[in-house]
Amino acid sequence: MHKQRYWGYVFTFPFIINVLVFLLFPIVFSAYISFTKYDLFNAPKWIGLTNWINILNKREFWLSMRNVSMFALIFVPLQTSFAFLVAFMLNQAALKAKSLFRLFYFLPVITPWLAAGVVWSWMFNYQYGVLNWFLGLVGIDPVNWLYSRSWVVVIASIALVNVWKGLGQSMVILLAGMQNVPHEVLESAQIDGASSRQLLTHIVFPIVTPMVYLVMILSTISAFQTFDVFLGLFGGITTGISEQSMVPNIMIYRDAFLLFKLGPASATAWLLFFVILAITLFQQYFEKRWVHYD
Amino acid sequence: MLKKRQSFLVLSLVVLLVATFGMVASAQKQVTLKIGLPGSYDVTSKDIIDQFIAEHPHINVEIQEAPWGDFTSKIATQIAGNTMPDVWFQENAVILGYGERGVAQDLAAYIERDLDTDEYIDGLFSARTPDGKVWGVPHGINPVALAYNKTVFEEAGVPFPTDDWTYTDLIEAAKQLTVVEGEEPVRFGFIGAYAITNGWFPWIKQAGGSALDETKTKSMFDDPRTIAGLKQLRQGIEEGYFTNVDFVRAHGGDLEVFASGKAAMHFMQYSLQVNMQNNYPDVDWDVVKMPKAVNGERYVPMVANSWLISSRASQASKDAAWEFLKFYLGNDAQNIVAASGSTLPVKLSAYEVIEASGTKPLNKAAYTDGIAEGGVTLDENATWNEWRLLVQQQVNESVVHGKITVEEAAAEIHKKVQEVLDEN
Repeated sequence: MHKQRYWGYVFTFPFIINVLVFLLFPIVFSAYISFTKYDLFNAPKWIGLTNWINILNKREFWLSMRNVSMFALIFVPLQTSFAFLVAFMLNQAALKAKSLFRLFYFLPVITPWLAAGVVWSWMFNYQYGVLNWFLGLVGIDPVNWLYSRSWVVVIASIALVNVWKGLGQSMVILLAGMQNVPHEVLESAQIDGASSRQLLTHIVFPIVTPMVYLVMILSTISAFQTFDVFLGLFGGITTGISEQSMVPNIMIYRDAFLLFKLGPASATAWLLFFVILAITLFQQYFEKRWVHYD
Repeated sequence: MLKKRQSFLVLSLVVLLVATFGMVASAQKQVTLKIGLPGSYDVTSKDIIDQFIAEHPHINVEIQEAPWGDFTSKIATQIAGNTMPDVWFQENAVILGYGERGVAQDLAAYIERDLDTDEYIDGLFSARTPDGKVWGVPHGINPVALAYNKTVFEEAGVPFPTDDWTYTDLIEAAKQLTVVEGEEPVRFGFIGAYAITNGWFPWIKQAGGSALDETKTKSMFDDPRTIAGLKQLRQGIEEGYFTNVDFVRAHGGDLEVFASGKAAMHFMQYSLQVNMQNNYPDVDWDVVKMPKAVNGERYVPMVANSWLISSRASQASKDAAWEFLKFYLGNDAQNIVAASGSTLPVKLSAYEVIEASGTKPLNKAAYTDGIAEGGVTLDENATWNEWRLLVQQQVNESVVHGKITVEEAAAEIHKKVQEVLDEN
């Protein structure tokens, strides 16, 4: 028995080292440097709470939190509900060429942000973009999607692009859940006269709520950590993403790797972590009320 | 006979000893030099490196090359881990930051000892700080000149620009060259670029303003002349004789718009002539010097990539690195840089190679004489990367998108830039 335990430790040792070096150490070190002045080239210098206070007093940080919250508010419900509907439609036995449709919906997921950003920024072009051209056809004034005076319009436009990009991934998770719904249950409900809407709301949805919950948690986390979509649509940090359109992860990247201000970058990262943790706990608190595991 | 044999033996011994000591001595002088090349040999000519290796057998050269983005991402980690090359180059503003953080060696004493500065353009000192430290020497200089599409000018019957033009002449010509059909502009007079080098910086300089003061410690964005320069750029875009961002993006970017004749003039960086030659060989275009400012002076913005020597390298490696930089700044290497066309060398003698070149633009003197007459850096200092981003944010909001007025933007820029300068 002792010998077996010994070999267990031996075999897990590389993974323990991996966790210690590449997971725990960076977490602890980033917490430490958030209390220091550290430029990557010289030894960290302890400055106490200065970085934290400076970040909390910085207008840009609060604007970025405002933006990312609005982004999550628009993105998470839209992404989850669209993904659910698409998954439900693609799960219909009568649907032909299912694989082809699934491929179409999944294609944006594997499209690089660099390419997607360029294409969407063309589509959003105020004077020459296809979206405003369509609006013009129905007599609606053009919208300045990415550079509107209203920050809500800008964030909503970006959130919609993110829904387009992430829909496929959530759809796959939900589709996997729906495929586990027992056919006998659906058939017996149909025999009892249940309509398609009743099947969806009273049978399929309750059974896949754990998957819906998972998609919501993952979408919320990814929304608060958003980075690529903003970079792709605005064309890069050095071209000047405006303060009104800033998000925390871009601030963190800029401060850490362009300006070599590792202290403020770490403090921002930790603040973002606390926000995500709080929201995840909030979601978990309500989990029992609507998620069914039985 | 015996004496002869003895003499021969003694002589042989002496030769052997001298040879042995010589070898030992030369072996002791062998030094390894790690040279970092961002952008690999696409950016730095391999001929220069090969020639240096051939002429310096006592220096073992190790090349660390990578695509530009990969190199610049990796170098920060290398510096943190003390595994960086002994000598490498990056953007001049980054080098100034490295100097401030103790990463770069001050080259002032080396330059004073070994270089005749009269043989170089002022750009040699792009990485000099107001207190006289020199954190790097140029890998190459990239100045701006006024490029014009000859075909468009001829079609419009507007005389070509000259070296005597002022910005008022440019604006007037841009108005004449602009063509609008219905409500759609089909041709603009000038590309209203908004980046620092060929966008807002030349406009504030020509109006008599600047980004920072001479000490590089005070923001000058509250200077009415700086604001006036930004307003002229905004006015051109707003009134439609300078391109707007939507038009340029929808039509493939600055160069495509210029080359296709959708815009007649462009502040073009020297390095872009290579793109023009490769992608638009049939376009009839040339350059003149940047227009003169309101005070009659000429300001030619220039950006540089600069070599630096690691302050943490051993003395032997530092000496070898300086040996390399001396070689790079010598006649042979500078002539190779000149022939590449991708950047301007800093040695005056190499300019003959450039001016004798028959490729477009034919008037390359607009660049070479331009920087000699009025070459200015982009008010770079150790915090340039940080304050430049803040300026660009507000320039985008006001000049490019018109979401706020130039005055509001300038007030915001002034406050924030001064905070950054004070903090550092």
